[in-house]
Amino acid sequence: MAHAAQVGLQDATSPIMEELITFHDHALMIIFLICFLVLYALFLTLTTKLTNTNISDAQEMETVWTILPAIILVLIALPSLRILYMTDEINNPSLTIKSIGHQWYWTYEYTDYGGLIFNSYMLPPLFLEPGDLRLLDVDNRVVLPIEAPIRMMITSQDVLHSWAVPTLGLKTDAIPGRLNQTTFTATRPGVYYGQCSEICGANHSFMPIVLELIPLKIFEMGPVFTL
Amino acid sequence: MAAPPEPGEPEERKLLGFLDVENTPCARHSILYGSLGSVVAGFGHFLFTSRIRRSCDVGVGGFILVTLGCWFHCRYNYAKQRIQERIAREEIKKKILYEGTHLDPERKHNGSSSN
Repeated sequence: MAHAAQVGLQDATSPIMEELITFHDHALMIIFLICFLVLYALFLTLTTKLTNTNISDAQEMETVWTILPAIILVLIALPSLRILYMTDEINNPSLTIKSIGHQWYWTYEYTDYGGLIFNSYMLPPLFLEPGDLRLLDVDNRVVLPIEAPIRMMITSQDVLHSWAVPTLGLKTDAIPGRLNQTTFTATRPGVYYGQCSEICGANHSFMPIVLELIPLKIFEMGPVFTL
Repeated sequence: MAAPPEPGEPEERKLLGFLDVENTPCARHSILYGSLGSVVAGFGHFLFTSRIRRSCDVGVGGFILVTLGCWFHCRYNYAKQRIQERIAREEIKKKILYEGTHLDPERKHNGSSSN
């Protein structure tokens, strides 16, 4: 989960998120260097003695400052498109979970191996145990196995919501009347948090998502089905 | 990468207060070499030409080019290394899962080499 005053991305829990972090570092370095160049150019404008305002015909410079940004954009676009298509790969998911957004809670359906359906409400502050996270912990977590491709089908019962888990690199809109799909494979066990990411009313900030990722062997023993 | 510092651990230092060069692979290496390249290029140009402003321009250009060059070179090698690590991890996993069975990768490899 995020810690206080965190600016950067959370640690990756899926291969896609690892790729996104790599791409983020790549784009940020390019952005940093461009900003550095622009700041230097601004500094020069403050200290220049050049006052000729009739400069024209700088063909070489204009060619350079057209071609160079095009090259930079290609250098950014190619890895970006690679990751974009990687997120759309269908990798034969072994489990399908449905996530339905409501005002202001989530409903999860495990219908592959039985008919488990439950709601996931944020724990009100009065009900928090010591160690629980305020505005993040829920009464019923989504328990999933690691190292198994999982398909999430996301929709909404009422207004727009968005099911987001930053550490997995997931954010998918929950749209009433539409079924959106996202797939992921978690690489390490743990408890991971996300929050609704589409404004949906008064309690938009109070409908978090909590995933509890456990080893496949333990998941197969059926802890999630003892609710 | 994004975990908060544990008590007792030295506090993270960020370049200019927000650039996390310590935890970003290749960033510290690229910026250090870029700074060195900038100083060498700018100072070298000044020694030859005695032009201050132009030497500063060369220094800035040198910083950008050297940083970018080191960055891409290091990231390319880092990506290759990650791919090799992933392949090694998968092979180790396969070996552990299938050792002694007909799917054992080592048995397949020995069988093909003896044929």
